Amino acid sequence: MAISEEHAGRSYPPTAPYEVSAAKITEFAAAIGDANPAYAGEQPLAPPTFVAVIASTAWESMFDDAELELALRRIVHGDQRFSYARPLRAGDRVTAALTIDKVRVRGTAEIITTTARVETVAGEFICTAGSTFFHSREALT
Amino acid sequence: MSAAVVVEVGTALPSLTVRLTRADLVRYAGASTDFNPIHYSERIAARVGLPGVIAHGMLTMASALRVVTDWAGDPSKVIAYSVRFTKPVVVPDDDAGAEVVFTATVTALRHGVATVSIDAACGGVKVLGAARADVDLGI
Repeated sequence: MAISEEHAGRSYPPTAPYEVSAAKITEFAAAIGDANPAYAGEQPLAPPTFVAVIASTAWESMFDDAELELALRRIVHGDQRFSYARPLRAGDRVTAALTIDKVRVRGTAEIITTTARVETVAGEFICTAGSTFFHSREALT
Repeated sequence: MSAAVVVEVGTALPSLTVRLTRADLVRYAGASTDFNPIHYSERIAARVGLPGVIAHGMLTMASALRVVTDWAGDPSKVIAYSVRFTKPVVVPDDDAGAEVVFTATVTALRHGVATVSIDAACGGVKVLGAARADVDLGI
């Protein structure tokens, strides 16, 4: 059975703890071409959109959910919304838990709205990452 | 942003032009762990109906926020950030890549929080919609 409106409300267990490292922050900041000094030094902050590194692991729990019959190459990111209690810092150990908020089926496409809640392993809330994904169902050769 | 700078509705932030090449997409794929092949394979991109290899929406989103954090200085002032990916940024397999121009304006100011609206254009086409960052000015 493919993804349908009935999958709204489905939640996935939190991802395995991810430790934010200074090295990964350096790599990410370089990849987005951002030389902000806050991302360097002894106690670097992670760029705000670094959260996607952790959220994407949570998105994978949904993409890999065999029951939903989703194919990564047929998924397009429609929108992204972050709301932060504080920035991630090197040394934070965090998890992300994904919930499917809403599914709309439009012909051969599905519009999937999700929220990933990111918190530290100690339970401190860091941010939410809300996303909309468009998935096309067309059989492809 | 120095304390002497007056922030009001209508304040324009310094704009930013970013050039994205295939090498940048490969680098972002590795850094972000987003290995969707539409961001590196012409063949797969064509197969799913895209006009070519496209940049990760999240890379465009990250680049757009640099306009705000370059201005605000401290990225921890960003308390919310959202975008809609309206058009793909097609990145050709050449040295020039795709040029994206980001401009931004303060569109609201409430309780010390500035809402900055960001425009992103590639080849004159708007690639982000409703891009907004809330910045806590701490005032």
